[in-house]
Amino acid sequence: MLTTIEKILFILLALVSAGFTVHGFKTIIDTIRMGRPAPELKNIPASLLKAGVTVLFQQTIFKARKVLSAIHMGLFFGLITYAFVNLVDALEGLVPNFDLIYSGKHLSPPAWTVPLINAYNLISDVMSGFLLIAITVFLVRRFIVKDKALAYRENVLLNPKVKAGGQAKDSLIVGVFVIMHVSAHLMSQAYRLTEGADPFMPIASFLNSIFGASQTGVHVAWWISIGWVMFIIPYLSRSKHTHFFMAPINLGLAKQNPRGQLDPAIPLKVIDGRKYDPGAKVITDLAWTRIMDAYACVQCNRCQDVCPANFYGRPLSPSALEVNKRYLLKEATFGSHPDLLLAPLTETVISPEAVWSCTTCYACVRVCPVGNEPMADIVDIRRRMLIDGFEIDSGVQNALQSLATNGNWMGKGKRLRGRWAKEMEFPVKNATEEPVEVLWFVGDTASFDERVIPNTKMVARIFHQAGLDFGILYQNESNAGNDVRRVGEEGLFEQLVEQNMAAFGKAQFKQIVTTDPHSFNTLKNEYPQFGGKFEVKHYTVTLLKLFEEGKLTVKNKLSHYKVTFHDPCYLGRYNGGFTAPRKLLELLGVEFHEMPRNCENSFCCGAGGGQIWMGKVAPGERPAENRIKEALTTFERHPNEKKQLFIVTCPKDMVMYSDAVKTTGNEGKIEVRDIIQLVAEAVGVEEVSQIVG
Amino acid sequence: MNIVVAIKHIPSIADDLPVKGNNVDFDSVDFVLNEWDEHSIEQAVLIKEAVGGTVTVVGVDLIGELDNALHLALAKGADKVVKITADDPAADSHQQAKWLAEAIKGMGADMVFAGVQASNDIDGQIGPMIAAYLDMPYIGGTSAIEVSGNTATVSKEFPGGVGMKYSVTLPFVAGVQSAPKPPRYAPVSKVRQMAQTATIEKVAPTGEASAGLAFKKMAPPVATGHAEMIEGSPKEVAAKIVELLKSKGLA
Amino acid sequence: MSNDVFVITEHLDGKFSDVSFEMVGKAKELAKALGGQAVAVVVGGGVEANVFASDSTIQVDDAALSQFNPEAYGKVIEALVKEKAPRVVLFGWTVTGMDVAAWLSARLGVPCAAYAKDVRVEGGGVVVSCQAYGGKLTAEVAPEGETAIVACLAGSFPAEAGQGATAAEKIASPVDLSGLKMKFIEMVKPAGGDVDITAQTKLVSVGRGIGGKENIELAEELAAKLGAAVSASRPVVDAGWLPRTRQVGKSGLKVKPKLYLMLGISGAPEHLEGMKSAELIIAINTDKKAPIFNVAHYGATADLFEVAEAMLELL
Repeated sequence: MLTTIEKILFILLALVSAGFTVHGFKTIIDTIRMGRPAPELKNIPASLLKAGVTVLFQQTIFKARKVLSAIHMGLFFGLITYAFVNLVDALEGLVPNFDLIYSGKHLSPPAWTVPLINAYNLISDVMSGFLLIAITVFLVRRFIVKDKALAYRENVLLNPKVKAGGQAKDSLIVGVFVIMHVSAHLMSQAYRLTEGADPFMPIASFLNSIFGASQTGVHVAWWISIGWVMFIIPYLSRSKHTHFFMAPINLGLAKQNPRGQLDPAIPLKVIDGRKYDPGAKVITDLAWTRIMDAYACVQCNRCQDVCPANFYGRPLSPSALEVNKRYLLKEATFGSHPDLLLAPLTETVISPEAVWSCTTCYACVRVCPVGNEPMADIVDIRRRMLIDGFEIDSGVQNALQSLATNGNWMGKGKRLRGRWAKEMEFPVKNATEEPVEVLWFVGDTASFDERVIPNTKMVARIFHQAGLDFGILYQNESNAGNDVRRVGEEGLFEQLVEQNMAAFGKAQFKQIVTTDPHSFNTLKNEYPQFGGKFEVKHYTVTLLKLFEEGKLTVKNKLSHYKVTFHDPCYLGRYNGGFTAPRKLLELLGVEFHEMPRNCENSFCCGAGGGQIWMGKVAPGERPAENRIKEALTTFERHPNEKKQLFIVTCPKDMVMYSDAVKTTGNEGKIEVRDIIQLVAEAVGVEEVSQIVG
Repeated sequence: MNIVVAIKHIPSIADDLPVKGNNVDFDSVDFVLNEWDEHSIEQAVLIKEAVGGTVTVVGVDLIGELDNALHLALAKGADKVVKITADDPAADSHQQAKWLAEAIKGMGADMVFAGVQASNDIDGQIGPMIAAYLDMPYIGGTSAIEVSGNTATVSKEFPGGVGMKYSVTLPFVAGVQSAPKPPRYAPVSKVRQMAQTATIEKVAPTGEASAGLAFKKMAPPVATGHAEMIEGSPKEVAAKIVELLKSKGLA
Repeated sequence: MSNDVFVITEHLDGKFSDVSFEMVGKAKELAKALGGQAVAVVVGGGVEANVFASDSTIQVDDAALSQFNPEAYGKVIEALVKEKAPRVVLFGWTVTGMDVAAWLSARLGVPCAAYAKDVRVEGGGVVVSCQAYGGKLTAEVAPEGETAIVACLAGSFPAEAGQGATAAEKIASPVDLSGLKMKFIEMVKPAGGDVDITAQTKLVSVGRGIGGKENIELAEELAAKLGAAVSASRPVVDAGWLPRTRQVGKSGLKVKPKLYLMLGISGAPEHLEGMKSAELIIAINTDKKAPIFNVAHYGATADLFEVAEAMLELL
């Protein structure tokens, strides 16, 4: 089709384009390689293959925004199709008399290929239409409807170029490209239809009926369509649409360790004897996988939607963190600011206030369709801030100081930890003095907070009544360190692990049970790295087992309660502990209703990652308050006279939500209870009013 | 600028404090750094950072467990740490102040800081006593100390938020109420690093002084235990509260 | 030596602090038991000192002493105590006492008992009850020797007994006040603005139970009638119902008023840390198991609004 001059031009253009493209991706690869070693990834080909399948079926995007995700799917398939379409178009240009219109009759193809050609014509024609619709929807969403989900809060730190609309520019360029490219392709096909409509090319035939056929038209449309590609491919490596290529790879190289296991503060693997300071100050302090995150991110902001800190107006947006990272890298590697590689992350990609707003609830990582881990970056940044003497929140500092001296964050003496147990009407074994079946790791809040201790005692009574051979560590227990680690105090975390490992060493037990999901998480997922090999269970699992074994029986069905259940982040999203609490509630016979945000999509109470220690608390509706409202709305859909309960299985939740009920003025409408209170009522344990002491 | 910070290792009040005889049962308590000492160390380090110099932290090792507090001080920016190996958990403020003063004498201190008070200062604080033994003037309750040449400008807090400023010629002793900034946090990894690398200078206790107080009894204050509950309707409760307040001259 | 009881009084801006009167009242009682005189000592120029019920009042009247200066005050007091050799010297465990009492003890080699909640004469000797270890223990100590320095916690004794009109005997400074190393520069008053709750003797403190910003007014009214200020627990401040300057607790301010009337505060440890040393704590809360009832002196399980409104009518 093309003239010789056109062909020469095309080949030159293709070479230039390829040069820029190779340079672009080489720069990206080199940049990623500047990162620190990541935790070892096993069986990479298999996980890449798995990611390929996931991407093909677009599984990960459907965790949120179902309709838009369907449109994204159309866009995705359209673009995949267009990889072939462009190839065919190129052949049409370069190979004389090559075209596939009218069942490819100009090529005189073998008969068996005719249905394939027709199928190709139909798919590429219809897909072109889909693409135009999909891209138009996305452009309308961004530029006309201005979907707030795509915007950042005023207080979120943004790279100046992002603030000036850099991403919108990217979207517009790529959007316009897709429209021009697809339209030009359709037109190039339409202009070819010299013999009228092709039934397998409905859209092109329709266009043909308007514009007719034209040789010049074919040339012009072809150049627009393919010329654009030559421009856009190198452009992609310099825009947020690196997403197209990097998303599947990033997903294939995503975190393989358990969700509840943080990457170490200093890489375990060392390259060229390099020395590493703990955590991250500059971008190259991040693991290479997390540098790659920035290229995979397309700023869909699903993470921002689910972020509890962002929810109540804190200046944190996980997506902004990623986009700022990419812009920093782009200016440092493609632009003229290599010095940016040495710029503190807290000045360029995320504000210190945002760093300290994260609850480490994992919702952002869980929802990310491309396997990004913004939360891990935040923890790494905290780690270095602590080492570098950054002035931290006074509440957090007090908590850490108390943890270092007393082993708990509440400023209580070690010896007071087991005081509640000494007040029990039966002896609670000291597991460091006599062997026990089950070692109950009680945790700080359950041991010291007067508001939670009645529940702690109730757990002991139920265990006792069920004949469970259990004991506690008394003053030998220290805070497990889950949140200490997430606040970034790796040294203190290690100290606490050592203290607890020493205590475990003194004790004889077969299994550990925790009341606190945070302790549960670190004991289960992180202690093994420090030699702590033991079975860890959450008390909801233990209780369920006691019922299943007949050691506990429901005497009074609790059908007079209407309840909903809050999945604690560190039990649910982190460790998949969704079923035990729900099965328990079913056994107890309550009327149960799920809140819209449940299980994996549960909404954080706002206490995790050290937030509960914060002295300064920002104004705005708290996540916990919002959650109470969510529960009440859920109940409103099932009106009756039953008492409405908000069931928790985490001592911190007891505190957070009891407060939230009061601050939202909903006392009397809804009551927060630990699941143990329901169990006690159902199995018939009366609270001992006068405590033996 | 040569700043010496005298610290006090005291029984932790985070726990219950068991009593043996007429004093605390020192074998059954944890010893911790006096909380005001964190401010005096911070104040010293801030001055060092502003005008240069060295910070020496010195304390009496009462039970052989002072090292951690000294490592913490190093992690926070102290340059040198000294412990007076006394091994006497019951040493009172007078005795500790005397030992400290004797140890500080040869250090050529431009300023000596101490925490303004400690929870076991039954016979008074070590700061003013060290001043007396070293024959230096003392100013307590400081909220900020700035040094220029041979003179310090000292802000001192009074109740009700009133502040007074003084100019003091070096050398002098100050009892630090608070540093101008909250004491910095020392990451545990840094403290542990100090524990591995730093040396603590040991000094034998010299000199004698006594509080001159005979301990007759030590006991928890008469039980406050549970609130006395006022029963009745809200109106009755209100009436009883008002009556109570009037009887105490509070209404 | 004498059997006199000296009271080192304390003044700021020409006004004597409560603890001065409290100590004079106590001194009279002690002097009687010891067979000596209660002597109020006023160090300060230009202060109206005829306000005590002491047996006598000595005023060291020197312009150099008009503002507190620990070095100058220390030297003057040292000279007076050396000269008159009283049996007991009472300081307030406040500004003057915290700067001078222990210093004087070490200078003169006489015992000092600080954090004193009570002083009495037993069998001819002085016995002091000291609050030790953050109030967890009380130590009973007997100072040995001829002079005892006792530094008293504010609010330990009634102030009325110390109020009177004994004419002060003005004397010149017994020591040379030139060549001091410490010089007073200026007084900095707190910037005008919100109430300083740490300086209040009475506080009405509200917690989450107050329910909303609109209900703060009720607490304000009650506080006004009591001559108190309104303070709050952290959630109230976080909710923006009251400014940060009113927050009591670990992350707020530590207060030690004579009266702490708590409305709807359940008593999180955070909060307790800021107020537990208040002298009289009265808590009203609907939850009979609220931990605050383990700390308060008086408590009532009742609706705070009803109680507050009823109190308004009675006051």
